[in-house]
Amino acid sequence: MARSETLKGIAASPGLALGPAHVLAPLELDVHRRALPEAEVGNELARFGRALDVARGELEDLAQQLGALGEEETRQILEVQRMLLADPSVRGETERAIEQERVNAEYAFHRIFAQAAGAYEASDTETFRDRAVDFRDVSRRVLRHLTGLGPRAPLDLETPCVIVAHDLEPSQTIHFHKGKVLGVATDVGGRTSHSALLARSHGIPAVVGLRHVTRILADGDLVAIDGFSGAVWPRPSTRRAARVKRRARLLDQLGVQLGALKDLPAVTPDGHTVELSANLEIPEEIAHVLESGASGVGLYRTEFFYLGRAHLPSEEEQFAAYKGVAERLHPRPVIIRTMDLGGDKVASYLNTEAEANPFLGWRGIRFALHHPEVFRTQLRAIYRASVVGNVKLMFPMVTTYDELDAALALCEDVRQELTREGHAFDAQCEIGMMVETPSAVWSADVMAERVSFFSVGSNDLIQYTLAMDRGNEKIAYLYEPLDPSILRSIRATVVAGHAHGRWVGVCGEMAGDPRIAALLMGMDVDEFSVSPFDLPRVKALVRALPYARAQALAQAALLLPSAKAIRELLARELDPLLPPVLLGGDDDEREPD
Amino acid sequence: MKEARLTILNQDGFHARPCSVFVHMASRFKSEIWVRRDDVEVNAKSLLGVMMLAAETGAELIVRAEGPDEAEAIEALTKLAEEKFGTE
Repeated sequence: MARSETLKGIAASPGLALGPAHVLAPLELDVHRRALPEAEVGNELARFGRALDVARGELEDLAQQLGALGEEETRQILEVQRMLLADPSVRGETERAIEQERVNAEYAFHRIFAQAAGAYEASDTETFRDRAVDFRDVSRRVLRHLTGLGPRAPLDLETPCVIVAHDLEPSQTIHFHKGKVLGVATDVGGRTSHSALLARSHGIPAVVGLRHVTRILADGDLVAIDGFSGAVWPRPSTRRAARVKRRARLLDQLGVQLGALKDLPAVTPDGHTVELSANLEIPEEIAHVLESGASGVGLYRTEFFYLGRAHLPSEEEQFAAYKGVAERLHPRPVIIRTMDLGGDKVASYLNTEAEANPFLGWRGIRFALHHPEVFRTQLRAIYRASVVGNVKLMFPMVTTYDELDAALALCEDVRQELTREGHAFDAQCEIGMMVETPSAVWSADVMAERVSFFSVGSNDLIQYTLAMDRGNEKIAYLYEPLDPSILRSIRATVVAGHAHGRWVGVCGEMAGDPRIAALLMGMDVDEFSVSPFDLPRVKALVRALPYARAQALAQAALLLPSAKAIRELLARELDPLLPPVLLGGDDDEREPD
Repeated sequence: MKEARLTILNQDGFHARPCSVFVHMASRFKSEIWVRRDDVEVNAKSLLGVMMLAAETGAELIVRAEGPDEAEAIEALTKLAEEKFGTE
């Protein structure tokens, strides 16, 4: 079959996989309503009772097996299913419908769980929408016995393969053992779906939310998946397949070598310490942050509270989440970035209109200042959480001093309000700002007087400095972190910050590339905030490269005229010095097939 | 009859695991126990019912008990919510 285009889904579990697809057929069972003659009611009740008992027994056996295997996560999911079947109201309601409405057991029973699944699917909250599958799973287990299909054959994989499914139900993930399941790709699901959580807990790469992957792939087709970027290549070219394989091998070697660094500090051989923190997108990723050996969270994005739901998050909801993160990280710091909506991230209920240039439009701090009530609610939640841990707050995409001034005034107002109400908060809670626009770079000296720290958001800084739309593929080549204008902007921010005694960090993808991180360290950047998966590699670099060498390298790089010349310099100077495993990055990803 | 308000503090909301802990506790009391969110009220001893409330983090629920051990039931269930049902 012909090669297909690259598919783009949601990166749900990091890692790379290449192998034959094993496409799981959807498990829909047709359930029809049948009117029951009075004489059959007794029989029907008995038939239902038997099916329920068998299904419960099955779940008990499975739970025992899983307990013995140490598969705690799956065991607990199935334990809940067992309890649902033991719920007297489930049995009672089904029996009532059989007796009084005179409907068949399949229909009476299925209706209860279909209703529950429907309620979850309609929820504003992603975690509930992602759980609707639980009700369908438990319902099907009983229906199979009612309809005489018997227990579902376990997923018995003879050869290692990539599981391709519409959505994985908990029952189907029982036989996930690393080695046999190379990766997972699903049509639906979000980052908090079972497929995603279980894949992560087993260390299996996964991409979810691919829409039609089950229709594009057939059993046995070769497929490559990238759980870092969310890319899936159905029937990849030989070149693409070889590339994925090589990167996967490097990652394996890296994992083993880097695991040992977890508890070691990020200190250069000549004694210079850098702050190495991790980015956090959803609170449940915090386990990865702690595992990665990060010294804190340098960028906690809060957009997920606002997106994909029907109404604004309450102060209590945000407070509970911020508090949870701060408590788990304590005494490590967490920098909470206030809402960065607008641009490509728009919450439907905030009545935004389509804009001709969204990235130059109503977004970041501009958007927040135009919604002071929404912004205040968030600031209150952050301040209230500041008493339980080491919390700092940071504003996104500041362009002018006046914006910073207005945002700081709002913070002051919120602090006074909390004091009046008798709420405790950390009066020393530091406030910083992102440097993402050329205007912020050029005004860094005056802005430094008002904030405690800067964090350079490299992804947007590149887009705004080079006047390139990141979403436009025709100019993708312009997305160049090593362009002299970018490096000089970062250096200027560092100089302005340090002159006022402020620390300066870089968050964004460029800090996660060890070669570039070397350069940033030499430019006196104090803190890097990178994805938990890139973090060990950057730490290994810091521990291998003397600070003096990095400084010399940065000095030389800042004199060069082009990204190409800088890239060559980095390769020439760093590659002989660093173990190849550190540099096995994704540097050829932009090449075409 | 006794009733009390409780707030869901669990990060992922009142999902399957905390719900099962809650139902387990409620089932230990002789009293009739109900839990309400907005205008939906369910039997606190039914796991399906409690799960269907789909109460996200920060949501407020009213729990109501009637029977010989109503005071103890309300106390135990409120305490459980404050402790995030021991699941976090």
